[in-house]
Amino acid sequence: MDVNNLNVIVGEGTCGIAAGSKEVIEAFRKHAPEMNIRTVGCVGMCHQEVIAEINDGNGNRHIYGNVTKKTVPQIIKFHKGEGDLPEDQLIFSNDNQDLDKWRYLAHQTRIALRNVGYLDPTSISEYQARDGYKAIKKILAEMTPEQVIEEVKISSIRGRGGAGFPTHVKWTFAKQSEGDIKYLICNGDEGDPGAFMDRSLLEGDPHNVIEGMLIAAYSFGASKGYAYIRAEYPLAVKNFGKAIKDAHELGVLGDNIQGSNFSFDIKIKEGAGAFVCGEETALIASIEGDRGMPRFKPPFPAVKGLFGKPTIINNVETLANLPWIINNGGKAYASHGTEDSKGTKVFALAGAIKKGGLVEVPMGTKIRYVLEDIGGGSSSGKPLKAVQLGGPSGGCVPENLFDTTIEYAAINATGAIMGSGGMIVMDGSTCMVDLAKYFLGFTQNESCGKCTFCRIGTLRMKELLTKICDGQGEMEDIDALEELTEQIKKSSLCGLGQTAPNPVATTLKYFRNEYEAHIKDKRCPAGVCKSLITHTIISTDCTGCSLCEIQCPVNAITGQKKVKGSYVIDQVKCINCGMCFEVCNSKAITVE
Amino acid sequence: MSKSLEAKVELVDVLNWIKRIGSDSSSTVPLLQAVQSEYGYLPRAAMDMIIQNTDITGSQVYGVATFYSQFRLKPVGRHIIRVCHGTACHVTGADRLDTSLRHILNITDEEQDTAENGSYTIEQVACIGCCSQAPVLVISDEVSGNLTGANAQRALKKHAKKNEEIVANI
Repeated sequence: MDVNNLNVIVGEGTCGIAAGSKEVIEAFRKHAPEMNIRTVGCVGMCHQEVIAEINDGNGNRHIYGNVTKKTVPQIIKFHKGEGDLPEDQLIFSNDNQDLDKWRYLAHQTRIALRNVGYLDPTSISEYQARDGYKAIKKILAEMTPEQVIEEVKISSIRGRGGAGFPTHVKWTFAKQSEGDIKYLICNGDEGDPGAFMDRSLLEGDPHNVIEGMLIAAYSFGASKGYAYIRAEYPLAVKNFGKAIKDAHELGVLGDNIQGSNFSFDIKIKEGAGAFVCGEETALIASIEGDRGMPRFKPPFPAVKGLFGKPTIINNVETLANLPWIINNGGKAYASHGTEDSKGTKVFALAGAIKKGGLVEVPMGTKIRYVLEDIGGGSSSGKPLKAVQLGGPSGGCVPENLFDTTIEYAAINATGAIMGSGGMIVMDGSTCMVDLAKYFLGFTQNESCGKCTFCRIGTLRMKELLTKICDGQGEMEDIDALEELTEQIKKSSLCGLGQTAPNPVATTLKYFRNEYEAHIKDKRCPAGVCKSLITHTIISTDCTGCSLCEIQCPVNAITGQKKVKGSYVIDQVKCINCGMCFEVCNSKAITVE
Repeated sequence: MSKSLEAKVELVDVLNWIKRIGSDSSSTVPLLQAVQSEYGYLPRAAMDMIIQNTDITGSQVYGVATFYSQFRLKPVGRHIIRVCHGTACHVTGADRLDTSLRHILNITDEEQDTAENGSYTIEQVACIGCCSQAPVLVISDEVSGNLTGANAQRALKKHAKKNEEIVANI
């Protein structure tokens, strides 16, 4: 095979980089400098990172997963005709289209993510080649703003940021509002720990988000846009910034776009790290240069928002669906999903799952399908216990409810929420009380402090949970947690406080036995809570390798090197950090 | 914290940022971000210069600086290690990464987050969005994933060697 005609495509999103894509690219450059190497965004098969595709430009593709700098030479050899196919790394090829690994993508329905991983996010021409900026040109040539709103109404898309408010209704409010200037804000302040679909879209397909912003802006007459992007996403800021510049040069952003009288421009605002800024009015306060504290509604931002002007805030994923909806029609979008929830939703699958990554499925899909058919089930082999949906505002859905369908009403009925789409999967090694404590610690830290119950109530809840995790809990503490749950929900102004107790409420509902084990038996069933566990070395299994002694940060482990079974842990010094457990190759350390 | 880590702030730099970014109240966050990206934290002197040379009030500058988790009021080491504490990282052992790094950097005082020699500062951050590679950390701007405590130490040693830094407990 002539290697000069081969293209190498390596995924270089943040997760690809975390898995080592830079080293892989180096290795390709070193071993096959004659190949044409380019980088794309993250395709969302995070469990297979680093992913590299080799194609001949004529549709003959080979996609490899778990590529490292060491396996690159073998791949190159195969393509030069000098070696065997590295089968264990192959995900897809024209001759192997039904590999188990490929099913991860084949079982998805990708609309918002349709381009991610297929194009170089820094190239506007690659976006154009995939129907890019076709929708905005169509709108400017043949559609009125009312027709755009009508098309989006037919699609029935609801805001993908979490609250699920119908997008066309929001736009209609803003359209009816009087204002010499109107603003559109793209909410890329993806603060939910465990959600990364917005990062992937902003990094991997920024032009799609820009085109979505253009469509939204045209519908209600916005002339200025802000893209509010988390500072924790430097690559997203960089790629989005380049995309804005290129869109200007192409004439799809700026004054009198495509010769029409529609003008629109976008500025990037980097968030400075505040979860509450995902809330609309707090986000507006933040752009205005204040502390990001929510304001009382009404007036709604659509009437009086940024700098006192009518403002619409749309989530990144919502925007990313819009060009597809315009190109294919609202009806095509609404053909996916259920009566209650139309279209598709992207989830970020992570935790104790075999195949983690981004998953886009039609609404109405069962949770179990996402976890088992797409995600491949438990990564540890231990049975799955629960899945956490919606981050700190959401809740845990236990295994016996995995047949719940993914739609707004059905998920709310479990006590969790759809949220922005974080799906953290848990097996028996996660302690549900510790998890509730983690989330309350998060919301307590992120509470802006405006409402007393949110500010102090979350702190009290965190203290009670800490007490239980430390083995000092009493049964009355559960009653106090339940009472606080109600009070905080009722007495908070914004969504942060109203939903903050959800992680506690759902774990108490479905995993009360774990709370009781901590309180009554002073035992952490998952072996997580440090005050309730002990690490011990089983002397018959100890090989005397000394790794645990080297790793122990408090010098609690002593023994004689190369003498089997000689190592012991001094329980007085031990802080139960788990470092020894992690390094022990012979699994000679138990946690109880 | 040794005094030597305190940054020396030049007025001309601050004036340049004000000129480039703006002097109205909506410039507060980006101005502070510019200051922090230069010095690694917000030196008191730089905040004073912003107050004196713009329409932004002292309460607004200090209010914003203390509200957002990105801003630091204390000097930092030459390199920053950000340990992700998102949900996926929490359940897969982010705590162990902290413990192992604090150990290797010999940071024993719980109140401290910077190594005695001013080399590294450990920061705990909310989700950086690499949940499938959890647990994850970022040293300067290099992201590493799927770590154990021991791997995290290895990643730090590698970084230290490349940047000629001395890490205490090796």
